[in-house]
Amino acid sequence: MPVVELVRVTKAYENKVAVRDLSLSLEAGQMFGLLGPNGAGKTSSIRMMMGITLPDSGQVNLFGKPFERKSLERVGYLPEERGLYKKMKVLEQLVFFGELHGLTAGEARKRAADWAKRLEIDEALLKKTEELSKGMQQKIQFIAALLHDPDLIVMDEPFSGLDPVNAKLLEKTLLELKDQGKAIVFSTHRMDQVEKLCDSICLVDKGEAVLAGRMREIKSRYERNHVVVEFEGNDKFLTSPEIAEAKNFSGHAEIRLKQHGDAQKLLQEASAGATIYRFELVEPSLEEIFIWTVGGKADA
Amino acid sequence: MRNILLIARREYLEQVRGRAFRMTTIGLPAVFALILGVGYLSSLGLGANRHMAVAAPDAVLANAIRNQLVGDKEAKARIDVFVQPTEEQRAALVTQVHTDQLDGLLWVETSPGRIPTGTFVSQSSGDFITAARLKSALTHAVLDERLMGGGMKQGDADTLVDGVPLDTWQVKKDGSLVKTNAESSLWKGYVMALLLSMTTMIYGMNVARSIIQEKTSRIFEVMLAIAKPGDMLAGKLIGVGAVGLTQIAIWLAAGAVILFSPLAAAIMTGELAVHFTWTEAVLFPVYFVLGYLLYSSLFAGLAATCETEQELQMYMPLAAAPTWLSFALILLVINDSNSFWSVAASLFPPTAPVIMFLRMASEIPPAWQLALSIGLMVVSIWGVLWFSTRLYRVGILMYGKRATLPELMRWLRYS
Repeated sequence: MPVVELVRVTKAYENKVAVRDLSLSLEAGQMFGLLGPNGAGKTSSIRMMMGITLPDSGQVNLFGKPFERKSLERVGYLPEERGLYKKMKVLEQLVFFGELHGLTAGEARKRAADWAKRLEIDEALLKKTEELSKGMQQKIQFIAALLHDPDLIVMDEPFSGLDPVNAKLLEKTLLELKDQGKAIVFSTHRMDQVEKLCDSICLVDKGEAVLAGRMREIKSRYERNHVVVEFEGNDKFLTSPEIAEAKNFSGHAEIRLKQHGDAQKLLQEASAGATIYRFELVEPSLEEIFIWTVGGKADA
Repeated sequence: MRNILLIARREYLEQVRGRAFRMTTIGLPAVFALILGVGYLSSLGLGANRHMAVAAPDAVLANAIRNQLVGDKEAKARIDVFVQPTEEQRAALVTQVHTDQLDGLLWVETSPGRIPTGTFVSQSSGDFITAARLKSALTHAVLDERLMGGGMKQGDADTLVDGVPLDTWQVKKDGSLVKTNAESSLWKGYVMALLLSMTTMIYGMNVARSIIQEKTSRIFEVMLAIAKPGDMLAGKLIGVGAVGLTQIAIWLAAGAVILFSPLAAAIMTGELAVHFTWTEAVLFPVYFVLGYLLYSSLFAGLAATCETEQELQMYMPLAAAPTWLSFALILLVINDSNSFWSVAASLFPPTAPVIMFLRMASEIPPAWQLALSIGLMVVSIWGVLWFSTRLYRVGILMYGKRATLPELMRWLRYS
């Protein structure tokens, strides 16, 4: 049974269609990445999942049933537009959100303390929100979304504004939650994170799904015609007739071979003039797939 | 319901713990007391301790004017009398006024068969209190002289000149007669109406401001994933309204303490004795709650369509117009609290709270009018809430652009 399912949903605002005929579904224990350029319709899709806006047509199902507000008790949500009560103390704020999700004040307090320790912000619990840094506030918001132990976690750009250390901490936490059987949907522009974390993705452009499916399956659609070379010496091999496109970052080259281009031949040319430390035939990165697809240059 | 109460509690605690609540709870009555006190104290010395000259052709009239002025305890005036003064003396007295040796000169002229006339000379053209005292003293003296000239005894003449006493009595619904004081009724009604409209507006504004702040802090999207927009608005209205009731309760408790003090006893037995009935005590919070709900739901809808507090403030005077209209009707209502327009204004929901209290100051209106007025207010609140909730649920997610009228109409249709 899918935890969340969008069935051919469409949403339009005045003259603009934000989401057109979008379908996706996600099972428990999976992490799902919703990708797309700015204004593609990611936030509109997420808002429909959360019942904040209603689709003009199509259906949103949560936990196997058509959307109903009661289902939101099992959902944790981190919106793109972060918001906290600035004058409230952090602990009071977390208890308030916990109570709204049906927890008792005591239970909410206990869970807030546990989560604060886990995310290394326990010293902030008795401070007012306005006294905290932006990154700290984001962690508080993250805890507020998870305090009631939701089965579905929906996060709109969860990594934006976080430094690498905290982004790593958040990634680790999300993976732990996935291992516990939670279903996680998040939107992001960070392709490296999606590639590392997500089981499935949906790439949205101009309100429509242009690429969707399991990560492995999507990447396997593309030819293994990318080569990463680390070398020292003559870089003349980068002008080889086997190459369609090459980027050279002083000793580190990223190469796309021509269709039917011969990697072995290229290796011979490279080793003739340079010392090769690494020569690896790889799949295209998700970032490249994203750019090709959105830019209309899909090579699949 | 649980979420409404949780949101109301949060709203209540945040506002009650805030500095603004402490400041207004203590500050507002203190400012009122200060204004009244300063006004009273400054009026005590106005026009007092003047050194004046009274010049008249007739010694009896001149002394009568002097006696009137000296008899005025508040004036504490020192009076020099000049009988049958010459033009040179007049010029000399004007010079004394000019050189500050005298505060003023009252020059009285008489001619047979005509009423005497007076001229007041002073350095200040705005000394209206002294001018009024001189006019009153001159009038009293002339009237006394004429009445006694006609054979009336001085005591009777003084009484007539001071004014014939007139008591006002009101026939109650049960036929009983109650002594009343129109002036104190006016003041009581005015103060209660002012308090009611002020608290209603302040807390209505607080709701609007709180919505704008939450819109600015982007908290709404988090909240919308947990609570319904209607519950959020209801919680906010209940929470902020409870803050208002708490503040009124504190003021009433403080007022009760003052009422049982010796100072209050002196005031309550005076000419401006103010008496409150149980009906007024019960209806005050009722009309506060109704007025607050009506205006705050209106302001909430308005706030949801605005981006900043500055923008909101531009619309506020328009939204508060019915309150100003209520105050414009004060004299009409106090003069005849049962006239068609008084009754109509007390039933018209936007003006009902203020006008009903102005009417109550003269006489408690019939129960059916009170019930109808409350009923109409409840229906209006429901109607305004219906519109406001629709504007609210769309408006709180609209950032960065001002809503136009066609957009507002579309928002109403969305939900």
